Amino acid sequence: MKVRVDAATCQGHGRCYALAPDVFESDDHGHCMVIDAELTPEQEAAARAGADNCPEDAITLTDD
Amino acid sequence: MDVQPDTDPAMVLFSPDAADEPHKPYRHLLEQCPVARSDNGSISGAAGASVLISRFEDLNWALKHPEFISSEDAVAIGNDRPLIPLQIDPPEHAKYRRLLDPEFSPKKMAALEPDFRVLVNQVIDQFLDRGECDFHEDFATPLPSTFFLRLTALPLSDLPVFLQWRDNIIRPDVEPGDFDAAAEIRAATGKEIYAYFERALDDRTAQRDHGLLSRLLDAEIEGHSLTREELLDICYLLIIAGLDTVTATLDCMIHFLARHPDERRRLVEDPTLSPVVVEELMRFETPVMVTARTVKQDVTLGDVELRAGDNVTLVLGAGNIDAEEFREPETVDFDRGRNRHLAFGAGPHRCLGSHLARLEVRVALEEWHRRIPDYRIPDGAEFHFSPGIRQTDTLPLVFGSG
Repeated sequence: MKVRVDAATCQGHGRCYALAPDVFESDDHGHCMVIDAELTPEQEAAARAGADNCPEDAITLTDD
Repeated sequence: MDVQPDTDPAMVLFSPDAADEPHKPYRHLLEQCPVARSDNGSISGAAGASVLISRFEDLNWALKHPEFISSEDAVAIGNDRPLIPLQIDPPEHAKYRRLLDPEFSPKKMAALEPDFRVLVNQVIDQFLDRGECDFHEDFATPLPSTFFLRLTALPLSDLPVFLQWRDNIIRPDVEPGDFDAAAEIRAATGKEIYAYFERALDDRTAQRDHGLLSRLLDAEIEGHSLTREELLDICYLLIIAGLDTVTATLDCMIHFLARHPDERRRLVEDPTLSPVVVEELMRFETPVMVTARTVKQDVTLGDVELRAGDNVTLVLGAGNIDAEEFREPETVDFDRGRNRHLAFGAGPHRCLGSHLARLEVRVALEEWHRRIPDYRIPDGAEFHFSPGIRQTDTLPLVFGSG
């Protein structure tokens, strides 16, 4: 599974990296950066929690 | 409060007791008039028509489309010019956020945590031995304002005058609905605020200190320093936003936890729950009930036509209990997986201080419950929440399980 963040949509709520610090991290502005787009199976639930809690719908998970 | 079906929607929301149990007016708006036109003015204090928007989906759209629902000139609170960055819309707005976001980023805030934790304990030390306190007066008011003055390196001795300004601007002491008297108080207070920050900026122009104002003086946007007016317009917003909202949030959350011992026990027994408790109570309580906008381009929402120039009241608290978005919305559920609440807004004007607020509220709840795990509101205590930004006037607590 892959994870992607749309940088133009992210507004820096910081919910994703608070909930999934192994998947997402903050830049100096508090906006989200994906640490590694390729998720391990163990990371998937946390990544989904981050995506589910993004108020801007900026995070996409894909199966390929 | 029981709402009659034909009551004007703005009056439902701003009646004196609405903020005590705001879910009732929210439910009324969601069920009866999710997009509602009111003839009774708006939270901006401006007379004339106002449109109230209450559904989660509509709020989400409005917050993310400033080209239709603008934040420019949306609320007059004694300021001569637009507040920066709140009342500047994209694309202009982005340059100010690029400058200010790093000052309030989660990384920057995390570095402040140890210092803030010490402060929380010092405040608790003031009243712990008494076995009781007025939570609003003794804890929720001094804590965020003291910390704000530290961040800005302004003298703590100025706190009383800051709090008076805050009250004059946010809840001026006038008869309900007397918009002219309120505007007069706000304008006079605004002059004092500008004069104060003129002096504070002069002092720091002469000699820099370690605070936020000095950093703003040295900041550059696209190769040039901020003008004096830009600096003042940022300071004005910081003092209004920085002194009031966390106080309200602490009042709301401790009031809830005092009355819900089961939820409180979960937090006491597992302090690592605190971030989740903060998010869920932000949603459930929504300390900032509404935020103001104006219509920039005609648009139809639901079956209501919004016309350019209309005042808009975004009822964030109603969106946060909208069953279309939240499962069992009127239940506090710390195990709620998905919680995209709008308590800090969304879109380009997402609350600049949200990460400071989250830090303050989380650490305050952790230290409070570590030291005062049991407390209750004494029988017969009389207090009310103010509409708009939900602060109590007084919140008496007695400690212990008795």
